[in-house]
Amino acid sequence: MASVVICSSAFQTLGRAQAKAFGAPDLPLAIIPHPFGSRTRDEIKTIAAECSAQIARIVHQGGQGVNRGTTEAATASRFVEAPWEQEEFDAFCRSRAWSDGLPLVAPTEARVARMLAGTSRAPGDIVGAIAPSYAAATVERIAANAVMTGCDPRFLPVVIAALEATCDPVFNLQAVQTTTNPATPWIIVNGPLAASLEINGGVNCLGQGSWANAAIGRAVRLVLQNIGGAIPGTMDQATHGQPGKFAFCCAENEAANPWEALHVERGQAQGSNAVTVVCATGTLNVNSHTKNADELLRVFADTLAQPTSNDYWYSGAPFLILSPEHAEILHRAGLSKADVKQRLWTQSKLDASRLSDRDFLRPEHARRAELGEVTRETLLPITKTPAEIGIVVAGGPGTHSVYVPGFGNSHPATRAITP
Amino acid sequence: MSELGVIIDPSAPARASVPAVERMPADLRGKVVGFIDNSKNNFNVLVEEMSDLLVREYGVARVVKQRKRAASVPATDEILREIRDNCDLVIAGSGD
Repeated sequence: MASVVICSSAFQTLGRAQAKAFGAPDLPLAIIPHPFGSRTRDEIKTIAAECSAQIARIVHQGGQGVNRGTTEAATASRFVEAPWEQEEFDAFCRSRAWSDGLPLVAPTEARVARMLAGTSRAPGDIVGAIAPSYAAATVERIAANAVMTGCDPRFLPVVIAALEATCDPVFNLQAVQTTTNPATPWIIVNGPLAASLEINGGVNCLGQGSWANAAIGRAVRLVLQNIGGAIPGTMDQATHGQPGKFAFCCAENEAANPWEALHVERGQAQGSNAVTVVCATGTLNVNSHTKNADELLRVFADTLAQPTSNDYWYSGAPFLILSPEHAEILHRAGLSKADVKQRLWTQSKLDASRLSDRDFLRPEHARRAELGEVTRETLLPITKTPAEIGIVVAGGPGTHSVYVPGFGNSHPATRAITP
Repeated sequence: MSELGVIIDPSAPARASVPAVERMPADLRGKVVGFIDNSKNNFNVLVEEMSDLLVREYGVARVVKQRKRAASVPATDEILREIRDNCDLVIAGSGD
Protein backbone atom coordinates (compact mmCIF):
# COMPACT_ATOMS: atom_id res chain seq x y z
CA MET A 1 0.00 0.00 0.00
CA ALA A 2 1.02 3.63 -0.28
CA SER A 3 3.66 4.22 2.38
CA VAL A 4 5.90 6.92 3.80
CA VAL A 5 8.65 6.30 6.35
CA ILE A 6 9.61 8.96 8.85
CA CYS A 7 13.33 8.71 9.43
CA SER A 8 15.61 10.74 11.68
CA SER A 9 18.44 12.37 9.74
CA ALA A 10 21.21 10.10 11.14
CA PHE A 11 19.42 7.02 9.80
CA GLN A 12 18.64 8.23 6.28
CA THR A 13 21.34 6.07 4.72
CA LEU A 14 20.00 2.97 6.48
CA GLY A 15 16.42 3.84 5.50
CA ARG A 16 17.37 4.29 1.86
CA ALA A 17 19.50 1.12 1.74
CA GLN A 18 16.81 -0.91 3.48
CA ALA A 19 14.09 0.32 1.11
CA LYS A 20 16.27 -0.74 -1.82
CA ALA A 21 16.86 -4.18 -0.27
CA PHE A 22 13.11 -4.66 0.02
CA GLY A 23 12.66 -3.81 -3.67
CA ALA A 24 11.20 -0.35 -3.06
CA PRO A 25 14.10 1.98 -3.92
CA ASP A 26 11.77 4.95 -4.35
CA LEU A 27 9.99 4.56 -1.02
CA PRO A 28 9.47 8.14 0.17
CA LEU A 29 11.26 9.16 3.36
CA ALA A 30 10.18 12.13 5.46
CA ILE A 31 13.22 13.33 7.39
CA ILE A 32 13.10 14.65 10.94
CA PRO A 33 16.12 16.01 12.87
CA HIS A 34 18.32 13.64 14.88
CA PRO A 35 18.38 13.02 17.82
CA PHE A 36 14.62 13.07 18.16
CA GLY A 37 14.03 11.23 21.45
CA SER A 38 15.24 14.15 23.59
CA ARG A 39 13.00 16.88 22.08
CA THR A 40 10.55 18.91 24.13
CA ARG A 41 6.83 18.98 23.36
CA ASP A 42 7.15 22.44 21.77
CA GLU A 43 10.01 21.30 19.56
CA ILE A 44 7.97 18.27 18.51
CA LYS A 45 5.05 20.53 17.53
CA THR A 46 7.36 22.36 15.11
CA ILE A 47 8.81 19.09 13.79
CA ALA A 48 5.28 17.65 13.38
CA ALA A 49 4.23 20.65 11.28
CA GLU A 50 7.29 20.36 9.04
CA CYS A 51 6.93 16.59 8.76
CA SER A 52 3.21 16.80 7.90
CA ALA A 53 4.03 19.34 5.18
CA GLN A 54 6.72 17.00 3.79
CA ILE A 55 4.21 14.15 3.67
CA ALA A 56 1.58 16.34 1.99
CA ARG A 57 4.20 17.26 -0.65
CA ILE A 58 5.08 13.58 -1.12
CA VAL A 59 1.41 12.74 -1.59
CA HIS A 60 0.93 15.67 -3.93
CA GLN A 61 3.78 14.40 -6.14
CA GLY A 62 2.47 10.87 -5.74
CA GLY A 63 1.20 10.64 -9.33
CA GLN A 64 4.57 9.16 -10.24
CA GLY A 65 3.99 6.30 -7.85
CA VAL A 66 6.54 4.27 -5.98
CA ASN A 67 8.33 1.28 -7.37
CA ARG A 68 7.48 -1.67 -5.26
CA GLY A 69 7.14 -5.35 -5.84
CA THR A 70 8.38 -8.77 -5.06
CA THR A 71 12.12 -9.26 -5.21
CA GLU A 72 14.20 -12.05 -6.54
CA ALA A 73 17.56 -13.23 -5.25
CA ALA A 74 20.14 -14.32 -7.81
CA THR A 75 22.05 -17.47 -6.94
CA ALA A 76 24.64 -17.86 -9.71
CA SER A 77 28.15 -16.98 -8.56
CA ARG A 78 29.91 -14.14 -10.33
CA PHE A 79 33.55 -14.14 -11.30
CA VAL A 80 35.64 -11.00 -11.03
CA GLU A 81 39.20 -10.09 -11.85
CA ALA A 82 41.31 -9.11 -8.87
CA PRO A 83 44.99 -8.26 -8.40
CA TRP A 84 47.13 -11.24 -7.36
CA GLU A 85 49.64 -9.44 -5.20
CA GLN A 86 48.61 -9.59 -1.47
CA GLU A 87 48.68 -5.88 -0.55
CA GLU A 88 46.85 -4.96 -3.75
CA PHE A 89 44.31 -7.73 -3.23
CA ASP A 90 43.57 -6.46 0.30
CA ALA A 91 43.20 -2.91 -1.01
CA PHE A 92 40.88 -4.21 -3.74
CA CYS A 93 38.70 -5.95 -1.12
CA ARG A 94 38.63 -2.85 1.07
CA SER A 95 37.58 -0.71 -1.90
CA ARG A 96 34.59 -3.00 -2.44
CA ALA A 97 33.70 -3.17 1.28
CA TRP A 98 34.47 -6.92 1.25
CA SER A 99 36.98 -6.66 4.06
CA ASP A 100 36.93 -6.79 7.86
CA GLY A 101 40.19 -4.85 7.84
CA LEU A 102 42.48 -7.87 8.23
CA PRO A 103 44.41 -9.57 5.40
CA LEU A 104 42.28 -11.90 3.26
CA VAL A 105 43.01 -14.95 1.11
CA ALA A 106 41.93 -14.60 -2.54
CA PRO A 107 38.94 -16.91 -3.21
CA THR A 108 40.18 -18.38 -6.49
CA GLU A 109 38.10 -21.01 -8.23
CA ALA A 110 40.57 -23.71 -7.19
CA ARG A 111 40.55 -22.68 -3.52
CA VAL A 112 36.76 -22.39 -3.43
CA ALA A 113 36.48 -25.84 -5.06
CA ARG A 114 38.73 -27.28 -2.32
CA MET A 115 36.60 -25.55 0.33
CA LEU A 116 33.41 -26.97 -1.20
CA ALA A 117 34.82 -30.47 -0.72
CA GLY A 118 34.17 -29.88 3.00
CA THR A 119 30.41 -30.17 2.54
CA SER A 120 28.09 -32.53 0.69
CA ARG A 121 25.75 -29.66 -0.12
CA ALA A 122 25.47 -28.39 -3.69
CA PRO A 123 27.26 -25.07 -4.43
CA GLY A 124 24.01 -23.42 -5.53
CA ASP A 125 22.00 -24.44 -2.43
CA ILE A 126 20.64 -21.42 -0.57
CA VAL A 127 21.52 -21.61 3.11
CA GLY A 128 19.52 -18.50 3.90
CA ALA A 129 18.51 -15.00 2.87
CA ILE A 130 20.77 -12.88 5.05
CA ALA A 131 19.22 -9.75 6.54
CA PRO A 132 19.20 -6.83 6.04
CA SER A 133 19.83 -7.21 2.27
CA TYR A 134 18.07 -10.60 2.17
CA ALA A 135 20.47 -11.62 -0.60
CA ALA A 136 21.01 -15.34 -1.10
CA ALA A 137 23.79 -16.98 0.90
CA THR A 138 24.56 -19.89 -1.40
CA VAL A 139 26.96 -22.62 -0.30
CA GLU A 140 29.46 -21.42 -2.89
CA ARG A 141 29.38 -17.78 -1.75
CA ILE A 142 29.79 -18.91 1.86
CA ALA A 143 32.73 -21.07 0.75
CA ALA A 144 34.34 -18.05 -0.94
CA ASN A 145 34.12 -16.08 2.31
CA ALA A 146 35.46 -19.05 4.28
CA VAL A 147 38.47 -19.18 1.93
CA MET A 148 39.06 -15.47 2.52
CA THR A 149 39.29 -15.90 6.32
CA GLY A 150 41.59 -18.92 6.10
CA CYS A 151 39.14 -21.71 6.97
CA ASP A 152 40.05 -25.36 6.55
CA PRO A 153 37.40 -27.13 4.39
CA ARG A 154 36.41 -29.14 7.49
CA PHE A 155 35.24 -25.89 9.10
CA LEU A 156 32.71 -25.15 6.33
CA PRO A 157 29.80 -27.22 7.77
CA VAL A 158 30.15 -25.30 11.06
CA VAL A 159 30.05 -21.95 9.22
CA ILE A 160 26.98 -23.11 7.26
CA ALA A 161 25.14 -24.32 10.38
CA ALA A 162 25.92 -21.07 12.21
CA LEU A 163 24.53 -19.00 9.33
CA GLU A 164 21.42 -21.18 9.15
CA ALA A 165 20.89 -20.53 12.84
CA THR A 166 21.25 -16.76 12.43
CA CYS A 167 18.41 -16.90 9.86
CA ASP A 168 16.00 -18.43 12.41
CA PRO A 169 13.31 -15.75 12.96
CA VAL A 170 13.77 -15.94 16.76
CA PHE A 171 17.33 -14.65 16.28
CA ASN A 172 15.97 -11.46 14.65
CA LEU A 173 19.02 -10.97 12.42
CA GLN A 174 17.47 -7.90 10.77
CA ALA A 175 17.69 -6.00 14.06
CA VAL A 176 20.98 -7.60 15.17
CA GLN A 177 22.66 -6.41 11.96
CA THR A 178 21.28 -2.86 11.84
CA THR A 179 21.03 -1.80 15.50
CA THR A 180 23.12 0.90 17.18
CA ASN A 181 23.83 -1.71 19.92
CA PRO A 182 27.16 -3.61 19.83
CA ALA A 183 25.32 -6.78 18.78
CA THR A 184 26.83 -9.80 17.05
CA PRO A 185 26.27 -13.55 16.91
CA TRP A 186 28.38 -15.55 19.36
CA ILE A 187 28.89 -19.03 17.92
CA ILE A 188 28.99 -21.93 20.39
CA VAL A 189 29.97 -25.36 19.05
CA ASN A 190 28.97 -28.58 20.81
CA GLY A 191 29.67 -32.24 20.14
CA PRO A 192 32.69 -34.40 19.29
CA LEU A 193 33.39 -32.37 16.14
CA ALA A 194 34.53 -29.46 18.32
CA ALA A 195 37.49 -31.48 19.60
CA SER A 196 38.38 -32.95 16.21
CA LEU A 197 38.43 -29.47 14.62
CA GLU A 198 40.29 -28.11 17.66
CA ILE A 199 37.64 -25.50 18.33
CA ASN A 200 38.84 -24.15 21.65
CA GLY A 201 36.49 -24.32 24.67
CA GLY A 202 39.28 -24.21 27.25
CA VAL A 203 42.06 -21.77 28.16
CA ASN A 204 41.62 -18.40 26.38
CA CYS A 205 38.72 -19.78 24.31
CA LEU A 206 37.39 -16.27 23.56
CA GLY A 207 40.86 -14.90 22.92
CA GLN A 208 43.45 -15.14 20.20
CA GLY A 209 45.49 -18.12 19.09
CA SER A 210 42.96 -20.78 18.06
CA TRP A 211 42.80 -21.24 14.30
CA ALA A 212 39.30 -22.73 14.12
CA ASN A 213 37.74 -20.19 16.53
CA ALA A 214 39.28 -17.31 14.58
CA ALA A 215 38.65 -18.56 11.04
CA ILE A 216 35.06 -19.76 11.64
CA GLY A 217 34.12 -16.66 13.62
CA ARG A 218 35.58 -14.39 10.98
CA ALA A 219 33.92 -16.29 8.11
CA VAL A 220 30.46 -15.89 9.64
CA ARG A 221 31.07 -12.18 10.16
CA LEU A 222 32.33 -11.72 6.62
CA VAL A 223 29.20 -13.39 5.19
CA LEU A 224 26.99 -11.14 7.34
CA GLN A 225 28.77 -8.15 5.83
CA ASN A 226 29.38 -9.29 2.25
CA ILE A 227 26.10 -11.11 1.59
CA GLY A 228 23.89 -9.61 4.31
CA GLY A 229 24.98 -6.11 3.35
CA ALA A 230 25.70 -4.98 6.93
CA ILE A 231 28.43 -2.56 5.95
CA PRO A 232 29.45 -0.23 8.78
CA GLY A 233 27.91 3.20 8.36
CA THR A 234 25.25 2.14 5.89
CA MET A 235 23.20 -0.85 7.05
CA ASP A 236 25.33 -1.58 10.15
CA GLN A 237 24.59 1.39 12.41
CA ALA A 238 26.46 0.19 15.53
CA THR A 239 27.50 3.14 17.68
CA HIS A 240 30.80 1.44 18.61
CA GLY A 241 30.50 -2.23 17.66
CA GLN A 242 32.74 -4.53 19.69
CA PRO A 243 35.85 -6.72 19.16
CA GLY A 244 33.55 -9.75 18.87
CA LYS A 245 32.45 -8.37 15.50
CA PHE A 246 35.78 -9.61 14.10
CA ALA A 247 35.22 -13.15 15.39
CA PHE A 248 33.23 -14.60 18.29
CA CYS A 249 33.34 -18.39 18.34
CA CYS A 250 34.20 -21.06 20.89
CA ALA A 251 33.28 -24.59 21.91
CA GLU A 252 31.55 -25.53 25.13
CA ASN A 253 33.98 -27.27 27.51
CA GLU A 254 31.81 -30.38 27.70
CA ALA A 255 34.46 -32.38 29.59
CA ALA A 256 34.32 -29.84 32.43
CA ASN A 257 30.54 -29.35 32.31
CA PRO A 258 28.90 -31.18 35.23
CA TRP A 259 25.45 -30.84 33.63
CA GLU A 260 23.90 -31.54 30.21
CA ALA A 261 25.61 -29.84 27.29
CA LEU A 262 24.04 -26.68 25.82
CA HIS A 263 22.89 -28.36 22.58
CA VAL A 264 21.33 -31.28 24.50
CA GLU A 265 19.46 -28.83 26.72
CA ARG A 266 18.25 -27.22 23.48
CA GLY A 267 16.84 -30.43 22.01
CA GLN A 268 19.77 -31.98 20.10
CA ALA A 269 20.83 -35.60 20.65
CA GLN A 270 23.56 -36.47 23.11
CA GLY A 271 26.79 -36.97 21.18
CA SER A 272 25.56 -35.01 18.13
CA ASN A 273 27.28 -31.94 16.68
CA ALA A 274 25.49 -28.62 16.80
CA VAL A 275 25.98 -24.87 16.68
CA THR A 276 24.11 -22.38 18.83
CA VAL A 277 24.13 -18.67 18.01
CA VAL A 278 23.53 -16.12 20.74
CA CYS A 279 23.26 -12.40 20.18
CA ALA A 280 26.02 -10.98 22.39
CA THR A 281 26.46 -7.31 23.21
CA GLY A 282 29.76 -7.75 25.03
CA THR A 283 31.65 -9.76 27.63
CA LEU A 284 32.17 -8.85 31.28
CA ASN A 285 34.72 -10.54 33.52
CA VAL A 286 32.94 -11.91 36.60
CA ASN A 287 35.74 -12.61 39.08
CA SER A 288 34.93 -14.25 42.41
CA HIS A 289 37.17 -16.30 44.69
CA THR A 290 34.35 -17.55 46.90
CA LYS A 291 33.95 -21.31 47.21
CA ASN A 292 30.43 -20.95 48.59
CA ALA A 293 27.60 -21.62 46.10
CA ASP A 294 25.11 -19.24 47.76
CA GLU A 295 27.62 -16.40 47.74
CA LEU A 296 28.61 -17.14 44.17
CA LEU A 297 24.98 -16.97 43.02
CA ARG A 298 24.48 -13.73 44.94
CA VAL A 299 27.42 -11.95 43.29
CA PHE A 300 26.47 -13.33 39.86
CA ALA A 301 22.90 -12.06 40.30
CA ASP A 302 24.14 -8.63 41.42
CA THR A 303 26.33 -8.49 38.31
CA LEU A 304 23.39 -9.17 35.99
CA ALA A 305 21.16 -6.48 37.48
CA GLN A 306 22.14 -3.36 35.54
CA PRO A 307 19.66 -0.56 34.78
CA THR A 308 21.10 -0.01 31.27
CA SER A 309 20.54 -3.64 30.22
CA ASN A 310 18.42 -4.37 27.14
CA ASP A 311 17.51 -7.73 28.65
CA TYR A 312 15.58 -6.12 31.52
CA TRP A 313 13.93 -3.62 29.17
CA TYR A 314 12.58 -6.23 26.75
CA SER A 315 12.99 -9.64 28.49
CA GLY A 316 15.98 -10.97 26.63
CA ALA A 317 18.36 -13.90 26.54
CA PRO A 318 21.54 -13.15 28.52
CA PHE A 319 24.24 -15.80 29.02
CA LEU A 320 26.67 -16.66 31.74
CA ILE A 321 29.82 -18.55 30.75
CA LEU A 322 30.74 -20.42 33.90
CA SER A 323 34.38 -21.31 34.37
CA PRO A 324 34.88 -24.99 35.18
CA GLU A 325 35.79 -24.01 38.77
CA HIS A 326 32.62 -21.98 39.32
CA ALA A 327 30.48 -24.70 37.70
CA GLU A 328 32.03 -27.27 40.01
CA ILE A 329 31.23 -25.20 43.14
CA LEU A 330 27.57 -24.98 42.11
CA HIS A 331 27.38 -28.64 41.11
CA ARG A 332 28.98 -29.82 44.38
CA ALA A 333 26.33 -27.86 46.29
CA GLY A 334 23.79 -30.17 44.67
CA LEU A 335 22.43 -27.63 42.18
CA SER A 336 21.26 -28.66 38.71
CA LYS A 337 21.59 -26.25 35.78
CA ALA A 338 17.86 -25.52 36.10
CA ASP A 339 18.36 -24.76 39.83
CA VAL A 340 21.15 -22.31 38.99
CA LYS A 341 18.94 -20.56 36.44
CA GLN A 342 16.01 -20.41 38.86
CA ARG A 343 18.17 -18.94 41.63
CA LEU A 344 19.77 -16.38 39.30
CA TRP A 345 16.39 -15.36 37.88
CA THR A 346 14.86 -14.85 41.32
CA GLN A 347 17.86 -13.08 42.84
CA SER A 348 18.63 -10.80 39.89
CA LYS A 349 15.27 -9.01 39.70
CA LEU A 350 15.89 -5.33 39.04
CA ASP A 351 14.05 -2.58 40.85
CA ALA A 352 12.46 -0.55 38.01
CA SER A 353 13.08 2.65 40.01
CA ARG A 354 16.78 2.29 39.11
CA LEU A 355 16.04 2.99 35.43
CA SER A 356 16.20 6.53 34.06
CA ASP A 357 12.82 8.11 33.35
CA ARG A 358 13.15 7.70 29.59
CA ASP A 359 14.53 4.18 29.77
CA PHE A 360 11.65 3.14 32.03
CA LEU A 361 9.21 3.92 29.18
CA ARG A 362 10.59 0.91 27.27
CA PRO A 363 9.77 -1.93 29.72
CA GLU A 364 6.62 -0.05 30.71
CA HIS A 365 5.37 -0.55 27.16
CA ALA A 366 7.27 -3.64 25.96
CA ARG A 367 6.71 -5.86 29.01
CA ARG A 368 3.09 -4.96 29.78
CA ALA A 369 1.69 -8.04 28.03
CA GLU A 370 4.09 -10.24 29.99
CA LEU A 371 4.05 -8.63 33.45
CA GLY A 372 0.81 -6.65 33.57
CA GLU A 373 1.08 -2.98 34.51
CA VAL A 374 4.76 -2.08 34.95
CA THR A 375 5.38 0.66 37.54
CA ARG A 376 8.43 2.21 39.18
CA GLU A 377 7.92 -0.35 42.00
CA THR A 378 7.98 -3.37 39.68
CA LEU A 379 10.79 -5.87 40.16
CA LEU A 380 11.78 -6.67 36.57
CA PRO A 381 13.01 -10.20 35.86
CA ILE A 382 15.89 -10.37 33.37
CA THR A 383 14.04 -12.88 31.15
CA LYS A 384 10.46 -14.09 30.79
CA THR A 385 11.31 -17.44 32.38
CA PRO A 386 14.31 -18.76 34.36
CA ALA A 387 15.04 -21.24 31.53
CA GLU A 388 15.87 -18.34 29.19
CA ILE A 389 18.98 -17.42 31.17
CA GLY A 390 21.70 -19.18 29.19
CA ILE A 391 24.44 -21.18 30.92
CA VAL A 392 27.54 -22.41 29.11
CA VAL A 393 30.59 -23.99 30.75
CA ALA A 394 33.83 -22.91 29.06
CA GLY A 395 37.30 -21.66 29.77
CA GLY A 396 40.34 -22.92 31.63
CA PRO A 397 41.45 -22.82 35.27
CA GLY A 398 40.66 -19.64 37.18
CA THR A 399 38.02 -17.89 39.26
CA HIS A 400 36.53 -16.02 36.30
CA SER A 401 33.17 -16.48 34.70
CA VAL A 402 31.89 -14.23 31.90
CA TYR A 403 28.62 -12.34 31.67
CA VAL A 404 27.41 -12.04 28.06
CA PRO A 405 24.62 -9.45 28.07
CA GLY A 406 22.05 -9.81 25.33
CA PHE A 407 20.32 -7.50 22.90
CA GLY A 408 16.87 -7.87 24.43
CA ASN A 409 15.01 -8.68 21.23
CA SER A 410 17.00 -11.67 19.98
CA HIS A 411 16.82 -15.27 21.17
CA PRO A 412 19.31 -18.09 20.62
CA ALA A 413 18.94 -20.60 17.79
CA THR A 414 20.55 -24.04 17.45
CA ARG A 415 21.23 -26.08 14.31
CA ALA A 416 22.71 -29.53 13.81
CA ILE A 417 26.03 -29.56 11.93
CA THR A 418 25.61 -31.78 8.91
CA PRO A 419 28.51 -32.97 6.72
CA MET B 1 49.16 -3.03 -10.68
CA SER B 2 50.30 -6.65 -10.39
CA GLU B 3 48.97 -9.48 -12.52
CA LEU B 4 45.22 -10.06 -12.41
CA GLY B 5 43.51 -13.34 -11.57
CA VAL B 6 39.92 -14.52 -11.39
CA ILE B 7 38.15 -14.91 -8.04
CA ILE B 8 34.65 -15.86 -7.00
CA ASP B 9 32.71 -12.81 -5.85
CA PRO B 10 32.15 -13.22 -2.08
CA SER B 11 29.23 -10.79 -2.12
CA ALA B 12 25.77 -11.26 -3.52
CA PRO B 13 23.86 -9.03 -5.89
CA ALA B 14 21.07 -7.02 -4.32
CA ARG B 15 17.69 -8.60 -4.84
CA ALA B 16 16.30 -7.47 -8.16
CA SER B 17 13.08 -5.57 -7.69
CA VAL B 18 10.16 -6.31 -9.93
CA PRO B 19 8.71 -2.85 -10.38
CA ALA B 20 5.07 -2.31 -9.68
CA VAL B 21 3.49 1.06 -9.27
CA GLU B 22 1.90 1.74 -5.91
CA ARG B 23 0.06 4.99 -6.40
CA MET B 24 -0.19 7.54 -3.68
CA PRO B 25 -3.66 8.93 -3.08
CA ALA B 26 -4.02 12.14 -5.09
CA ASP B 27 -4.31 14.18 -1.92
CA LEU B 28 -4.89 13.63 1.77
CA ARG B 29 -8.45 15.01 1.88
CA GLY B 30 -10.96 12.45 3.12
CA LYS B 31 -8.33 9.72 3.44
CA VAL B 32 -7.62 7.38 6.34
CA VAL B 33 -3.99 7.58 7.46
CA GLY B 34 -2.37 4.83 9.53
CA PHE B 35 0.65 5.26 11.79
CA ILE B 36 2.96 2.46 12.88
CA ASP B 37 4.68 3.87 15.96
CA ASN B 38 8.13 2.24 16.38
CA SER B 39 7.80 2.87 20.16
CA LYS B 40 11.03 4.85 20.39
CA ASN B 41 11.03 7.82 22.75
CA ASN B 42 8.78 10.66 21.59
CA PHE B 43 7.48 8.97 18.47
CA ASN B 44 4.06 8.62 20.12
CA VAL B 45 4.10 12.38 20.77
CA LEU B 46 4.96 13.05 17.12
CA VAL B 47 2.09 10.76 16.07
CA GLU B 48 -0.31 12.65 18.33
CA GLU B 49 0.76 16.06 17.02
CA MET B 50 0.76 14.97 13.40
CA SER B 51 -2.63 13.29 13.72
CA ASP B 52 -4.16 16.55 14.92
CA LEU B 53 -2.51 18.50 12.11
CA LEU B 54 -3.40 16.03 9.37
CA VAL B 55 -7.06 16.09 10.35
CA ARG B 56 -7.27 19.83 11.10
CA GLU B 57 -5.16 21.27 8.30
CA TYR B 58 -4.93 18.63 5.59
CA GLY B 59 -8.50 17.27 5.64
CA VAL B 60 -7.61 13.72 6.65
CA ALA B 61 -10.82 11.86 7.61
CA ARG B 62 -9.40 9.67 10.33
CA VAL B 63 -6.14 8.38 11.77
CA VAL B 64 -5.47 4.79 12.84
CA LYS B 65 -2.64 4.45 15.39
CA GLN B 66 -0.73 1.22 15.96
CA ARG B 67 2.33 0.77 18.17
CA LYS B 68 5.01 -1.93 18.02
CA ARG B 69 6.18 -3.67 21.21
CA ALA B 70 9.74 -2.49 20.58
CA ALA B 71 11.59 -0.73 17.76
CA SER B 72 13.76 -3.75 16.99
CA VAL B 73 10.93 -6.21 16.37
CA PRO B 74 8.82 -6.35 13.21
CA ALA B 75 5.21 -5.13 13.28
CA THR B 76 2.91 -8.05 14.10
CA ASP B 77 0.54 -9.50 11.50
CA GLU B 78 -2.32 -8.06 13.53
CA ILE B 79 -0.92 -4.52 13.21
CA LEU B 80 -0.31 -4.96 9.48
CA ARG B 81 -3.82 -6.34 8.93
CA GLU B 82 -5.41 -3.48 10.82
CA ILE B 83 -3.50 -0.94 8.72
CA ARG B 84 -4.06 -2.71 5.39
CA ASP B 85 -7.79 -3.15 5.95
CA ASN B 86 -8.49 0.39 7.08
CA CYS B 87 -6.03 2.85 5.63
CA ASP B 88 -5.26 4.63 2.35
CA LEU B 89 -1.73 5.58 3.41
CA VAL B 90 0.62 4.22 6.08
CA ILE B 91 3.28 6.27 7.85
CA ALA B 92 5.94 4.26 9.69
CA GLY B 93 8.84 5.43 11.83
CA SER B 94 12.48 4.47 11.70
CA GLY B 95 15.46 5.70 13.69
CA ASP B 96 15.68 7.55 16.99
